[in-house]
Amino acid sequence: MAATAKTEKVVTAAQATGLQKVAINMRKYWQIYILIIPAVVWYIIFAYYPMAGLQLAFKTYKAKIGIWGSPWCGFQNFEAVFRDVYFWRSVGRTLVINLGRLVINFPAPILLALMLNELRVGRYKKVMQTIFTFPHFLSWVIVASIMTNLLSVDGLVNSALGAMGLDSVNFLGSEVLFQPMLYITDIWKSAGYSSIIYLSAISGIDQDQYEAAEIDGATRWQRIWHVTLPNILPTVSVLFIMTTGGLMTAGFDQIFNLSNAATKNVAEVLDMYIYRITFTASTDFGFSTAVSLFRSIINMTLLVIANKGSKMMGGTGLFG
Amino acid sequence: MAAKHKFGKERFEAMDWVLIILLTAGMLCILVPFFNVIAISFTSYKEYMQSTWVLWPKEPTLDAYEQLFKDNRILVGYKTTLCYLLFGLPINLILCSTLAYALCRKGWPGRKLIFMLILFTMIFNGGIVPLYLVMKDLGLTNTIWAIIFAQGLNTFNMILIYNYFCSLPEALIESANLDGADEWTILVRIVLPLSKPILATVVLFVAVQLWNEYFQSMIFLRSNDWQSLQQVLRSIVMDSQVVDDSTIMSDIGERNFTNGIKMAAVMATMIPIMCVYPFLQKYFTKGIMIGAIKA
Repeated sequence: MAATAKTEKVVTAAQATGLQKVAINMRKYWQIYILIIPAVVWYIIFAYYPMAGLQLAFKTYKAKIGIWGSPWCGFQNFEAVFRDVYFWRSVGRTLVINLGRLVINFPAPILLALMLNELRVGRYKKVMQTIFTFPHFLSWVIVASIMTNLLSVDGLVNSALGAMGLDSVNFLGSEVLFQPMLYITDIWKSAGYSSIIYLSAISGIDQDQYEAAEIDGATRWQRIWHVTLPNILPTVSVLFIMTTGGLMTAGFDQIFNLSNAATKNVAEVLDMYIYRITFTASTDFGFSTAVSLFRSIINMTLLVIANKGSKMMGGTGLFG
Repeated sequence: MAAKHKFGKERFEAMDWVLIILLTAGMLCILVPFFNVIAISFTSYKEYMQSTWVLWPKEPTLDAYEQLFKDNRILVGYKTTLCYLLFGLPINLILCSTLAYALCRKGWPGRKLIFMLILFTMIFNGGIVPLYLVMKDLGLTNTIWAIIFAQGLNTFNMILIYNYFCSLPEALIESANLDGADEWTILVRIVLPLSKPILATVVLFVAVQLWNEYFQSMIFLRSNDWQSLQQVLRSIVMDSQVVDDSTIMSDIGERNFTNGIKMAAVMATMIPIMCVYPFLQKYFTKGIMIGAIKA
């Protein structure tokens, strides 16, 4: 008995010094706390307070009494969402489009980086990189306008087709061509920018490896295949896993701006669905919050898995 | 970087030509759409009527631009977007750098917790509806402040700055601390002047982000007096597109003319980025490299 009492006393003493330490440190760094006030207030109001608003997903929203006063309704909103056939269609479309992106848009910047790296005219290469990177900094509103102009029925491409005696194609007004157009415009806009990461990985490769390959008489293809590619593989796999983490997000900006009345049936991906039910169809905020909460949770799960995966592949993961 | 491979001794082979041709073709795919936009924006309505195959107008005119600026909307767009930049950039810089600096100073209780809570916002957020309701409660809807505050801090940019601050020698801060400098002075006098490259990168990222802002503007800002430039461009391009779909070919004159104005609007939105980009490209590139190493 006496022994346990003694140890208890020791523990409390240690705790007290621990707390004292905290107090001392808090006093020592009081200026830091003042420094972070603006940012912390920002996070509370614009990040965490809206998260509290997610309770709407379990409530029937009444505009008059606000979020907090609205009555709870359990999982009713979710049941309604899962019964909505448009919801499932949009989920399916999102997955299909993103798998397409994974196959088509993911390798494009790698290929571009390899090609740029093999290009042996230094000056020209710089100019090219500048031009390839530029479209990334334009908004999808601008890119969609440029593309609409280029690909419309009386646009440049169709004029060229006409001059060659071919029929004109309504590129942006066709349901069949909608997905390919998404992939193509995405490559046009962002392949150059994404290739920068691979180019920097390539420039970090140990030059001795190339020299050794050269001495062994490796051809250029062999050097690319056996030296360059294996060396950038870690970068590739980390980026691949991170991309799969975004499988449920299908580039709202792009689709919102490229779609039109003719393609609206094939353009409704999950984000477009959320936008439609929230801001155009009805104002049942409970319902739309439920959809967006569902998406956020799936996204977070995918990201966490992807992050684990990239760590397992030897990458640093999203959070260093 | 170019000469690193030591291929210089080898002769130019067929593959080099293939590469040059392929990459040049790719480059043209990027450039031609831009030239087409520029050309059409300077083409007169008459010339466009004769042939839509415009590579370069024979008699360039500024008609489309005149028409565009007669329309009040584009000026409203400039005003709004410039206000975003004017207020948004300082707010972003202040919030990001104070927080990044504080997170770099180790030893204060609560640092880990706050860091975790901040990182959590990167993978999970409330979504647009709760944010909209917050803005409504604060009375910020239909004012530019809704967008300026919503975009007041970007966690990714904050992490970029944080990584840079942490890479500065710690002794620098410690010695200033021992000399009795307070934290604010250390940040402003020592840390910030040493961090110009990353600050430039973040300023550019934020500027591009604000310049391209349209989604939140579309939702928070539904007034005629304040509309972001991208919103205006979208309404100019898309509104007349709706007309396009319904009007019949007999109306082709009117229709082609609006095309000139649309392209002038694209130019008006794009030119500022185009002008700044070549000079600042290296900062953008640096930014993505830093991000890629750490992210």
